[in-house]
Amino acid sequence: MAEEFNTEGMLDIYLFENQQLLEQLQEIVLEQKDADCFDEDSINEIFRTMHTIKGSSGIMMFDNITAVSHKLEDVFYYLRESNPDNVPHVKLVEHVLEVEDFISNELEKIRNGDTPDGDSTKIIAKLDKFLDEIKKGPAEKDSDSIPENVHEEPKQFYIAPVATSASRFFKIYITFFPETEMANVHAYKTVYALKEIAEDLLYSPENIISDETSSDIILQEGFRLLLQAQSTEEEIRELIGVGYDIKQVDIYECKAEEFLRGFDFVEINEAQIDLDSTVEDIESRKQEAQQEEGEEAENEKKPEKKPESKPIAPGDFVIKSREPGKQKKLARDKAKEKTSFISVSVSKMDQLMELIGELVISESVVLQNPDLKVPGLNLNNFNKAAVQMSKISTDLQNVIMSMRMVPLTNTFQKMNRIVFDVSRKLGKDIELRMIGEQTEVDKNIIEHISDPLMHLVRNSVDHGIESAEERIDSGKPEKGKVILSARTEAGKVWISVEDDGKGLDREKILAKARSQGLLDENKPEEAYTDKEVYQLITLPGFSTNEQVTEYSGRGVGMDVVVQNIQSIGGTLDIESTPGVGSIMSLKIPLTLAIIDGIVMETGTSSFVMETGVIKQFVRVREDMMIHEPNGDEYVMIRGECYPVIRLGDWYGLKNYQTDVENGIMIILEVEDKKICLFVDKLVGEQEIVVKPIPSYIKKVKGLSGCTQLGDGSIALILDPGGLID
Amino acid sequence: MDVTSEQDKLVETTEDIKNGKDVQKGKYMTFKSGNEYYGLEIQYVIEIIQLQAITVIPETDDYIKGIINLRGKVIPVIDVRLRFKQESFEYNDRTCIIVINVKSTVVGLIVESIAEVVEIKEENILPPPKIGRTEKVQNKYVYGIGKVGDSVKLLLDPDKLLNDVELSVIEQVNELNDEEE
Repeated sequence: MAEEFNTEGMLDIYLFENQQLLEQLQEIVLEQKDADCFDEDSINEIFRTMHTIKGSSGIMMFDNITAVSHKLEDVFYYLRESNPDNVPHVKLVEHVLEVEDFISNELEKIRNGDTPDGDSTKIIAKLDKFLDEIKKGPAEKDSDSIPENVHEEPKQFYIAPVATSASRFFKIYITFFPETEMANVHAYKTVYALKEIAEDLLYSPENIISDETSSDIILQEGFRLLLQAQSTEEEIRELIGVGYDIKQVDIYECKAEEFLRGFDFVEINEAQIDLDSTVEDIESRKQEAQQEEGEEAENEKKPEKKPESKPIAPGDFVIKSREPGKQKKLARDKAKEKTSFISVSVSKMDQLMELIGELVISESVVLQNPDLKVPGLNLNNFNKAAVQMSKISTDLQNVIMSMRMVPLTNTFQKMNRIVFDVSRKLGKDIELRMIGEQTEVDKNIIEHISDPLMHLVRNSVDHGIESAEERIDSGKPEKGKVILSARTEAGKVWISVEDDGKGLDREKILAKARSQGLLDENKPEEAYTDKEVYQLITLPGFSTNEQVTEYSGRGVGMDVVVQNIQSIGGTLDIESTPGVGSIMSLKIPLTLAIIDGIVMETGTSSFVMETGVIKQFVRVREDMMIHEPNGDEYVMIRGECYPVIRLGDWYGLKNYQTDVENGIMIILEVEDKKICLFVDKLVGEQEIVVKPIPSYIKKVKGLSGCTQLGDGSIALILDPGGLID
Repeated sequence: MDVTSEQDKLVETTEDIKNGKDVQKGKYMTFKSGNEYYGLEIQYVIEIIQLQAITVIPETDDYIKGIINLRGKVIPVIDVRLRFKQESFEYNDRTCIIVINVKSTVVGLIVESIAEVVEIKEENILPPPKIGRTEKVQNKYVYGIGKVGDSVKLLLDPDKLLNDVELSVIEQVNELNDEEE
């Protein structure tokens, strides 16, 4: 029966939330990785994050994640409570990142539908050791108590706590008739009803949805809830309702401290609760409860007396940590986010994007309708309305584009992590500076640049920055520097990775290229410009580092980078000064979906070319043409010689212009290569929505997609890269 | 008696609809190409549209005429006559495009003219003759011959119609490329 509740939805939310938590965690950790220790806020934040992950993983029954997060929580609990000053900070950072990696991995497995089966014992052992180490100073005897307590701590369902002074705390005890079937479902119904008013809600047994045996437990022991709400007892009773299956509902009001102690307290009382008690009994129950509070207060005093020497029992602090005051801030932040953001599935966004694309096209179908071209029509009003409509559709287009824009912050943050990892492994001290990480880029593009960027950063750290000794020898500061910057310019995003390392070594590159047979034999090595030499490193199978290291040097780096960048219409530019450093710049389009294009015709076909690659339109005369005997053609324009591609020839079209004086030459530039494309005529400029050519039709060289023109017909989009190859 | 059998029939159909299956079974969309009538199981057919402007894609097989814009969706169209290695024909106002969906590939078939939708019972479908003067090329797309009264319809296997063995290899390559992108 448990399956009736859609645990899949819960799983999605679990994955989504924990992913976000991990990202936040990483951000916090990396922000302070260079400090001497975490500040108090961060420790609390990490502690809370781990606590939340532990709680939700417990509910979802991912035991290894629970165990690992629990252990890290222990560590941070200790840090928080005892403020030890002998913590090796870098080691701690590594441990946190390790845990984060582990959980990320497990989440990935869950996302792919596998069981999270990663071995948590190793990490736990490491953390234990670490904890022992830092504890050695103040309290040596603690170490034993930790492992024992690992699984005793109760798992608790946790619903965004909002503590206010008007809050009241209740203990609710529900008993069902023994013959009730699916008591867990009934219990869940109650929880669901109470969620409406609950500021905080705990219940036991906690896994009522996923565990069918909980039904028996509920029948035998009753269903216990701890509720924090601003409602009165009557309101709660009303919400729970009295169904035919509920035998008895007992509600006791209690104090905050008691509430925070959780179920431990309730368990003590269990024997005292009489299943047959009636509503009238509640008054006397309350008195009892107050008595218990007294006892409670005494119990509380004990740990306060000697907090230092008290062994850390994870079972306690979870509840202690949930002081209403502390949660306040967190809860408020959450509420704020909820009102200003909603998460929408990407497929819906894509659909909206597509529809707006359609709208833009059908707009031009209407506005350029041939029916309007009848002479003598009075179109004043029509034109006014048309202008208004164009305005709205442009706005609409901008809004949807901006919705798809995501800041590069996360991507850059990942690089921070890489620099940290790689530099530590290589024993280099490197600082990463990030400039303009708020720059926004279309989501599709972000997905494509993450990997190339990672390669570039690794390259800089591994190959670019010298070892500390070398740096000192050459009079540079010992600490290396990598600058990651992003900016938008002319409809493109420029992302550059700059390092102050040794720069690219021209001779080494040439030597390597020679040995790999990558050089043009007819060209003397001196004739290669620096730029050309640097471009050599982007060829497949090239890597100058003598030693293949863990992070780079397999010779697959740069060519993959270039391929990935090219696939989204971007370019890679390399600048370098020997001894001073190098700059790798990526130039990528802001968006892939809508581009500016020039529409042209050849024969009866229409083609579109992205505006960015077009340098010039030129009319040429026959005497400017140079014909080679093998059929190749060149054209001399203002002293420069360009190879010519006749589009009609290229695709074997019919009825196209053969006389160069009747058609037009388009000079294209892609990655420093220039060619002339000969077409019949230009039609105009248009914003085009790129659509793929149906996969049923096999790939045609030089075509990258198709688009709908203003008149509803389809034009093919030319891929300049394909033409130049 | 009549009433009950009527009712039975009604119950049958509604149940079929409920089960979401096979109400369309046994129904064939027939069209004329050359001198023959062909039939396509109706479950593959999405719609029939008038011939419209086709954008030619260079460097493709000759039977792939190009792509059309079907209300914003770009779909490829193929000429059935050329597909059967028959002579090409002049397109006129009777020429239609049957839009079919085979394993979520949407393709338009250019046919000379649409005939009708007929119901062919399974017992009236014969396997195609193995010997005889039927051309081999044509044979591989035809999985059965349906008898309707006196006439026969050649029943087409749409999967084979769209995908040659060698073509599917190309498709796979394409798909690979697409994934890479």
